[in-house]
Amino acid sequence: MSSGRGFWPSVRPAFTLYLPVTPFVFFALFPLYFMLVTSLKKNAELYDVNAAPFLIRKGVTFGHYALLSTDTLFWTWFVNSLLVSVGATVISVVIGVLAAYPLARLRFPGATSFGVAIFITYLVPPSLLFLPLASVVNRLGLSDSLWALVVTYPTFLVPFCTWLLMGYFRTVPKEIEECAMLDGCNRVQTLWRILLPVAVPGVICAGLFAFTLSWNEFLYALVFVSPAELKTMTVGVFSELIRGDIYYWGGLMAGACIGSLPIVIAYVFFLDYYVTGLTAGAVK
Amino acid sequence: MPTVHAESVPRVRGVSRRQFLRVTMAGATGLGAVLARGRAPAIAQTRELTFLTIASFVPDTDKELKRQFEEWGAKNKVKVRLDIIAHLQLQTKKAAEVQARSGHDLTALGPGLGDADLYYDYLADLNDIAGDVAPKNGGWLSPNDYLIRGKWKLLPWWQPPFPMAVRTDLLEQLGEKSPDTWEDWLRIGKKGKAIGHPFGTAMGHSGDANVTLLSILWSYGGSYVAKDGKTITINSKETRQAMEFVKRLYTEAMDPEVLAWDDSSNNRCLNAGKCIAIHNPISAYESAKKDKVLVPGTQKEIAEVIDHIHTPRGPVDRKATTGFWCVGVWNFSKNIDLAKDFLRYHFQPENQNKWVEAGHGFNMPFLQNLTKHAVYKSDKQYRFIPEVAKVTVPPSWPGPTSAASQPVWDLYIIPDMFAQPAAGKVTADQAIAWAEKEMQEIYAGRKKRP
Repeated sequence: MSSGRGFWPSVRPAFTLYLPVTPFVFFALFPLYFMLVTSLKKNAELYDVNAAPFLIRKGVTFGHYALLSTDTLFWTWFVNSLLVSVGATVISVVIGVLAAYPLARLRFPGATSFGVAIFITYLVPPSLLFLPLASVVNRLGLSDSLWALVVTYPTFLVPFCTWLLMGYFRTVPKEIEECAMLDGCNRVQTLWRILLPVAVPGVICAGLFAFTLSWNEFLYALVFVSPAELKTMTVGVFSELIRGDIYYWGGLMAGACIGSLPIVIAYVFFLDYYVTGLTAGAVK
Repeated sequence: MPTVHAESVPRVRGVSRRQFLRVTMAGATGLGAVLARGRAPAIAQTRELTFLTIASFVPDTDKELKRQFEEWGAKNKVKVRLDIIAHLQLQTKKAAEVQARSGHDLTALGPGLGDADLYYDYLADLNDIAGDVAPKNGGWLSPNDYLIRGKWKLLPWWQPPFPMAVRTDLLEQLGEKSPDTWEDWLRIGKKGKAIGHPFGTAMGHSGDANVTLLSILWSYGGSYVAKDGKTITINSKETRQAMEFVKRLYTEAMDPEVLAWDDSSNNRCLNAGKCIAIHNPISAYESAKKDKVLVPGTQKEIAEVIDHIHTPRGPVDRKATTGFWCVGVWNFSKNIDLAKDFLRYHFQPENQNKWVEAGHGFNMPFLQNLTKHAVYKSDKQYRFIPEVAKVTVPPSWPGPTSAASQPVWDLYIIPDMFAQPAAGKVTADQAIAWAEKEMQEIYAGRKKRP
């Protein structure tokens, strides 16, 4: 009897947890797997229409990774992407916090309208904004520099961060801020000393999203920056490895694999914060 | 209630309100000054010429262009910068530069000559350069085709002629010799498909689909716009005949996947050893040679059994088109004279010779002497390329190139018109009626370029 009770609890997760989640894991990881497999295949196998697309049958090659490192400025582009993404993320999260706090907490005329306006701003697609923004970037004298991207990325990151943080700040009980104010804190101090420490999961969540959006951005990076040594990874790989009707699939997939790593690492480190930020709120 | 003393409330660490305001004001003032001036502070007054071009299908072409650009820069003490992007992104980049009235001095234009009309107000006149270049190179191939509103707003730069790239071993296996017409290719495609080697041409939204299907349309006597550049002529019995042929080609000689092909798909099909023939420039052959791709199941390199022959003729004509890549100078450039000087340098016969050689004949200039370049005799694979160039016309033929002809290409109206009835989704009459309406709207100016 005791062995029966011990067996079912031990196998139950296989049926109630692992089995149901397997298709989702497969669905989520398949693109990464396919990228990796393609990046390690020899060109001859990539051309072979009879080859199994999901397996490597004719040996592994690191030639596509070598091509990226030796024949292109890939690592320069990688660093550029990193600098731009970190810069734009920091700026956007800071502005987002400063914008979200009054919209979530203070009562002033037009607060609701401001919130809605910010949301609507987020809905304007970059494919409409890039033409007027090109004029702005030019007038600022930022064309062909990484600053052009650090300055323009917040145009879509700030509304997003603000909207996300507004929702998060509203889940933090007002009472703990009021206690701080009773103890003498002003608004800024309350934000800095009370709200932000409690809202760390929300801030990290906003930061992660902002970093991911910046890292993957293509259009502004294409339009505002031209010199090869200043391109970001998304544009650089595309420019160098798609030559008319010749696509260097191995190199493209190798670039995509390496490009995925910072995002994967960031999410692995901050996964708990991310989940909490999206779901649970800050009330403990 | 306890009294709160100022000392008991520490400042936010590191930044006082006064400091914050000071920094913010300084930043805002600086930004305002830059905006008011309308340009960046001059840090250094160095002459710099910039050139935006597309990644060449044959990478050595870019290296040679860069070499010439740097050589010219060194001779003239001008800093030069060659920026290369994928050809698919050129439209976006051009639009942004025109909007900002700023960007590169020289720019690649195309595919097609329509950019000269579309950006007419933003391109510098190049009449003087066109006049200088022609006599040194035996003249332009078809100068009247390149004039937009009577002016040279761009210089036609290079074209990749579209021969037929064929598998000689498979033709031999099928007992076929010297195919020359589209009907020949239907017959061969049927036989090839039966043994697992179909004919391949893109029928989706791709440049290759535009080229091949326009070639077939003209070969059957059809066209979409008349010589007057106004009358839409797509609704004709010749168009119906061409569509009937394409439907047979699609159903009897090709695989359905061609409806989803992009520009790289036919190259892959040939180099994978699957397709018996594709209508394409020599890029597939060049990459097969570079990658030493083998015929499946053998140790023989597939490049050894690929040949290039003339673009097919139809019952009425033998015509083809291609991407007409051009170069222009923005009139908002501060270096128009320098840009023109570099163009003169690049179009000198010796520099053109080296550039064509670097491209292994892929990039053929629109200049008479260059169509007889030695590179076309250096490999038997290239022997038909000058012949194909002779029958190559702009995509709007017989109508003139205009800001209206460009959207017909960019919106893939011809491929859609052929593909929909071929796949059995609509009748030929319905597809023609749709295409006619689209083209009439475009030529009436109601539908702009995407």
